[in-house]
Amino acid sequence: MSFAAAPLSNRPRNVSDKWKRLNWGIVTVLVALAAIGVVMHLSVAEGAWSGRPLSHASRFAVVLMFTVGLALIDTRFWVAIAYPLYAAALALLVAVEVAGATRMGATRWLDIGPLSLQPSEIMKIAIVLALARYYHHLDARFASSFLALAPPLIMIGAPVALVMHQPDLGTALLIAGTGVGVMFLAGLRWRYIAAAGAAALAGAVWAFQFALHDYQRQRILTFLDPEADPLGAGYHVAQSKIAIGAAGVMGQGYQRGSQSQLDFLPEKHTDFIFTMIVEEFGLVGAFLVLGLFAALLGFTMLVALRARTLFARLAAAGVAVTTGLYVFINTAMVIGLIPVVGIPLPLLSFGGTAMLTVMMGMAIVLSIHVHRDAAPSSRGFLW
Amino acid sequence: MSTLKRDLFDIFTRRAAIASVGAAGAFAAIGARLIYLQADDAFGGEYTKAAEANRFDVRFVPPVRGVIYDRFGDPLALTSRDYRVSIVPEEADDLERTIQALGALVGMTPEQVERRVREARNRKPWDEVQIKQGLEWPQFAAVNVRLPEFKGVIAHVGEQRYYPYKAAFAHPIGFVQRPNQMEIEAVEQEDRKAAGLGPKAEPGEKFDSPRARYSRSPDVRVGKAGIEAALEGALHGEPGRRQVEVNATGRVVSEVGREEKVAAPGAALVLSIDAELQRFAMERMGGQSGSVVVMDVMTGDLIVMASAPGFDPNAFVNGIATPDFKALNEDEKKPLFHKTVAGAYKPGSTFKLVTALAAFQAGLDPRTRVNCPGYYWFGGRRFHCWKRGGHGEVDFRAGLKGSCNVYFYQAGLQAGQQRIADMARQLGFGRAFPLDVPGQAAGIVPDQAWWASKRNEPWPAGMTLNTAIGQGDLLVTPLQLAVMVSRLANGGRAVEPRLVRDGLGRPEPGAARLDLPADGVARTLDAMVAISNEAGGTALRSGDLGLVRHPVSGRMVDVAAAPPGSERVRMGGKTGTAQVRIITAGERATRVKKNDELDWKLRDHAWFVCFAPADKPRYAAVVLIEHGGNGSSVAAPIARDIVRATLLRDPAARPAMTLARAATLAGKKPA
Repeated sequence: MSFAAAPLSNRPRNVSDKWKRLNWGIVTVLVALAAIGVVMHLSVAEGAWSGRPLSHASRFAVVLMFTVGLALIDTRFWVAIAYPLYAAALALLVAVEVAGATRMGATRWLDIGPLSLQPSEIMKIAIVLALARYYHHLDARFASSFLALAPPLIMIGAPVALVMHQPDLGTALLIAGTGVGVMFLAGLRWRYIAAAGAAALAGAVWAFQFALHDYQRQRILTFLDPEADPLGAGYHVAQSKIAIGAAGVMGQGYQRGSQSQLDFLPEKHTDFIFTMIVEEFGLVGAFLVLGLFAALLGFTMLVALRARTLFARLAAAGVAVTTGLYVFINTAMVIGLIPVVGIPLPLLSFGGTAMLTVMMGMAIVLSIHVHRDAAPSSRGFLW
Repeated sequence: MSTLKRDLFDIFTRRAAIASVGAAGAFAAIGARLIYLQADDAFGGEYTKAAEANRFDVRFVPPVRGVIYDRFGDPLALTSRDYRVSIVPEEADDLERTIQALGALVGMTPEQVERRVREARNRKPWDEVQIKQGLEWPQFAAVNVRLPEFKGVIAHVGEQRYYPYKAAFAHPIGFVQRPNQMEIEAVEQEDRKAAGLGPKAEPGEKFDSPRARYSRSPDVRVGKAGIEAALEGALHGEPGRRQVEVNATGRVVSEVGREEKVAAPGAALVLSIDAELQRFAMERMGGQSGSVVVMDVMTGDLIVMASAPGFDPNAFVNGIATPDFKALNEDEKKPLFHKTVAGAYKPGSTFKLVTALAAFQAGLDPRTRVNCPGYYWFGGRRFHCWKRGGHGEVDFRAGLKGSCNVYFYQAGLQAGQQRIADMARQLGFGRAFPLDVPGQAAGIVPDQAWWASKRNEPWPAGMTLNTAIGQGDLLVTPLQLAVMVSRLANGGRAVEPRLVRDGLGRPEPGAARLDLPADGVARTLDAMVAISNEAGGTALRSGDLGLVRHPVSGRMVDVAAAPPGSERVRMGGKTGTAQVRIITAGERATRVKKNDELDWKLRDHAWFVCFAPADKPRYAAVVLIEHGGNGSSVAAPIARDIVRATLLRDPAARPAMTLARAATLAGKKPA
């Protein structure tokens, strides 16, 4: 691994050069989304700054600085740490399994001194980088062969199994979805996709019967028939749908959403923040937030298409897949399209991990964009 | 760059395009779902309604209960101010200390303080907990002065049912209390039925009975006894509804200020009872156990309806303390028992009036004389007269005047059991009246059919003799006796007792004529006047009312203030002494024990029934003193005083209060 000067001229030379090449569209959207998050936390706190609004704002500010800082690092760095990062994340997942802290019925955290780490979050980014690197180095002639499927499937399967066991269905789904997404973008053959789809269906049936925990099964049953248990597991979604349905085009007004303000809506500052946005700002607010996320994904895909190496393309697109899955699963969950899986809305929901994951992904995307004109070596490799 | 690599780039571009389309589709699905939920709500309003149902809670506003007045407008039950202190636990600095200090200030026992502390801890911290109500004004003032140092304490003036005459009206009026669990469940069941639900809650079902919730609110009181219970529907009024905004835990966030429905006050009632006379009757009975009824023989108005001893109904309104209730409940004089309507007693000799009429109906010749040697042989058994040497030769008048058992044994035999029973029923015995007090006893009028339903043997003829003198299986209530005397004194019209004169929109009662032998009624009334006024009458000693009728005004005045030419006012009566124990032949052979030699519980019941004035009867009165001993020496003097007081006040002749007039005076339409 070497940071020696690249043979081609268009690589940004210094920090100010890189600064100029930053993707300001992405940064603007990130800031806008986080700002909306702060506004909503201010609503939850009934206008009191100290507490969540301030904490959300300052946390985002710090994370954004790191993100921009990381964006200035050459893309080759990400290639270099792709496998080590993946290995470390996997090791940490095993460590969680052995010595993790159990909170709220799930063992997801690793307490290291004062730090509390969720290795599954690191894995969401690590899997993107690792797969991107795998496909990048894969001989194109074997790219679509059956044998070439094994390493990525193992790379995806190992963390998913570990996370499922924590148990954290939402994160497992995210990791699996991201990994499969990257495989798809890398050109996974349609016939494999069809076969996998059939297998997944069978597997889902099997999982529902034997592998899922009771509460997970309950969530699926509740999703299929929410009226069956309106005060139990169906309560969250029932209240969320009430809040959204009653919102109207313009919403109830800021700090005036009765479902949120009177605590009928649970988890409104975390998983159900989108509901609160809809309740207080109506369809207008909902489409603004969805539009910002769509813009973020669009910008990210543009970065991917503009990139000149397969690693960069797959890495940027992989981050888009992760982010898109976050947004889709969360919003679809709160409006009752899919069962409740505990997935926050990144940048808006209170809590650091989702923000950290997406921002780290965005750091990679920004880095790819900053170094977009650094030509790859003649072999198509970075060095 | 190799061609293969180029291929991979192309594949990526294609796949990225497909993925983007997929993502766009997913976002479109989210957007469509959001729009669909809005549209769904725009048409059905289901989510808006659900959000409102979440957000708004209906709180009930108890209506002001109807005032109960006596016949002249004196309030007997009203809603009065009530001074209360309560505490909001979360606002208190030191909950326990505050309640202790408060308890010391308002005179609570350490146990009561402890109970309140526990209650305050167990409730939701924002829920107001009542510390004490019914404070005296000085206590309330003392709390108010110290409010600044008592954080979280609220001193406020509430409303509460109040019975100013206390024990005097405890039985006819009754009292209100918080609905009990059974009553709440009963209304809940009605609501469930109305909603088409089964009697048991299904698991997961979210049915909320509004009336049950109303019944549970702390300010709601319902009638539990007397008129308060019987006319609960009219007195209670319609509860109002008020919306409040609540959060998910049920805490009231704000008063919405949207009063959905204003509470409609309950109907006011005007009773037939004269509070002055009622109080006098209660006082006159003293500490004895008994009952007094004074009835207007023309209208059936109950002017006095007293049952002694009474109890203070105010003690029940906020829940009576267990030891206090136990003391009342275990008192041998049964203060909680409404003796006037619920007590069934042997009528004793007062029933001879019924036997007389039945005999007249059977053709009794009042001049026929009967010899009374002190006993009468019948069916191989000796039936005794109360007078140990006998009355000698007596005709009807002398027989009734002296209350001769032997005469009435034979009168009874002439009438026959069935005719006596029929006459008794005509005069009001053996059934409850359509009267607005609960718990009336029907009593027992024995006849062959009744006997056959009870025992599998032929009617023993001796029972007719026992019935004829008011013993045997006969059971009557003091009210039934008052109705009987009224129906005789008014010349044989079927008056029914009435308690509520105004407030229920009932028509003025009419009374059908009874099928009574007119001559027999006249002779019976005449003999009753003789009982109180002639030598040999069993109530002669308490026969003098000391009243005259004023020759000009026609009003009754005291004999001391009588102008010349005034005519003495007289009454007619009948004594009764009802045995409550069996006198054995052995005891009778030696000497029958006197009442004051017996345990209170074994002494005779003393009765006196009467009417006045003798010439133009207007009032009938009944006095029962339980285990009082002799009717003529115990009950008759009380009856005499009450009749005198009644005649002096003459409530039937004075205009009674009507709600229409009261409303006109108050300048508003009657409710």
